Amino acid sequence: MEKTEVREGKVPALPDLFDWAEDGVRIRSAKCNSCGTYFFPEYHAQHRPGCSREGVEKVLLNNKGKLASYTVQHYMCPPPFKTSGNITPYGIGLVEFPEGIQIAGLIMESNLDALKIGQSVETITYTLYRNDEGQDVVTWAFRVLN
Amino acid sequence: MREISIVGAGLHPWGKFKDKTFIEIGTVAIENALKDGHIEWKDIQAIFSGIYIYGGNAGHLSGQYLESVFGETGVPVVNVYNACATGSAALRMAYNSIAAGEVDTALAVGVDISPEGFLSAKSDNPRQDRDVLRWRMSGMPNPVYWALECRKRMAKYGTTDEDLARVKVVLSQYGAKNPNARYKKVYTLEEVLNSLMVCDPLRLYELCATSDGAAAVILSASPGTIAKADKPVKIAATTMGSAIYGDPTIRISALSAPAKAEAPLLSESYSASRQAYEKSGIGPDDIDVLELPDNSSWHYLQYLETCGFCGEGEADRMLREGQTQIGGKLAVCPSGGFSSFGEAIGAQAVWQVVEASNQLRGRCGERQVPNARIAMTQTYGLMGNSGTTIMKV
Repeated sequence: MEKTEVREGKVPALPDLFDWAEDGVRIRSAKCNSCGTYFFPEYHAQHRPGCSREGVEKVLLNNKGKLASYTVQHYMCPPPFKTSGNITPYGIGLVEFPEGIQIAGLIMESNLDALKIGQSVETITYTLYRNDEGQDVVTWAFRVLN
Repeated sequence: MREISIVGAGLHPWGKFKDKTFIEIGTVAIENALKDGHIEWKDIQAIFSGIYIYGGNAGHLSGQYLESVFGETGVPVVNVYNACATGSAALRMAYNSIAAGEVDTALAVGVDISPEGFLSAKSDNPRQDRDVLRWRMSGMPNPVYWALECRKRMAKYGTTDEDLARVKVVLSQYGAKNPNARYKKVYTLEEVLNSLMVCDPLRLYELCATSDGAAAVILSASPGTIAKADKPVKIAATTMGSAIYGDPTIRISALSAPAKAEAPLLSESYSASRQAYEKSGIGPDDIDVLELPDNSSWHYLQYLETCGFCGEGEADRMLREGQTQIGGKLAVCPSGGFSSFGEAIGAQAVWQVVEASNQLRGRCGERQVPNARIAMTQTYGLMGNSGTTIMKV
């Protein structure tokens, strides 16, 4: 798998966590072919006890999942979280992917009151701020599918 | 196995003490524990001290700094860190050191002066510190994790906003009567429900603050030392647990968790409590007093289930029926809990043991649990680590 690249003037705030694929943004994960465990990020290995830990491969998670839980923050997160403006209130979603792993991240939704467990969501990028080179510094985020 | 007792217990009250050092408040706690047990400093044969992570090199060597205040004696001094279960680790090592016959009397101490506001990332290397990722990429302070699990619970078991608020109402009544508590105001259900929504579904008064505090416990198996103590409390078991593979809890600092549960929620606390039940031969039905880690109202409910005091989804009913109050089936956090004290990372596990042992020693005045014979303390530490202590008189 290639290193995460800059795409259309967008640069990830930290590398190797997601990628731009043909069908959209996908979380970078890793799967152990011996014990079947998926882990995230790909460099924080996790295995079933007793696993030989052989045959770990990097994978891209499906672009779509289900909202397993969510919370809305009514305060601005202090540093090292950095955004160009105050994004309060902001949502955090916990998304279950078909591979059998839940991933947490910002949830971008104009109407946070409409969030519901079980909703279909897709992975997107969200611009946190613009850097000195004029690039959008982005993270992964989730958006509800209608 | 040697019979090991708590012979001395001491605190520095919880609060915010900007002008004090961790050494100063730690000294007060140790001095109070020594006085409580009528113990001389020279009788302390080993020291297990919680690492104070915001204190730099001094904080990492907290035991040596505290020892020097009372006079260096050459005894083993070990500094330990297990996040919010740090005190559990210190206590367990003191216990095991005595149980192994290495020493007869040992000190376990925990001290913390918390930074203001949310506890944040302490390094800047995302490849080895998930804290960096969760802060920079997703803006996730600790309460986010609790809110995500709380929301799941509400959907699964029908926990209501009133249930979450009721936890604070009950605990605030005890905190008001505890001279060592930081928060002493009694709240009504309406006041809690009208408090600021912070981390939906958790409101301001349903989340614990970060505090400063210090706690010390002296353990002994020496008959002479035990004889001098005012109502010694026997340790029935003190254990630690780590998480179990397949635990679906979204654990603080992580950004992922298994979707399919192959282990219980909060499996680290499940592990620690089950080890303690097995070692002590004491089960949830035998316990009169429980100090659990009420970091949020969600924890209060979930821990009753995790530790086996009721079945899954039954904690709300226990709370509504008053079973968890003083005079009920199980007195939960008669100290006032973290709700009235706030978290003091390195100190809180030892503090819980001090509070629980005070109940067994009949020292709690207006919030005394009648006929308290057996007490349990349970901690909850970041990254899947936890400790349980069961004590009896």
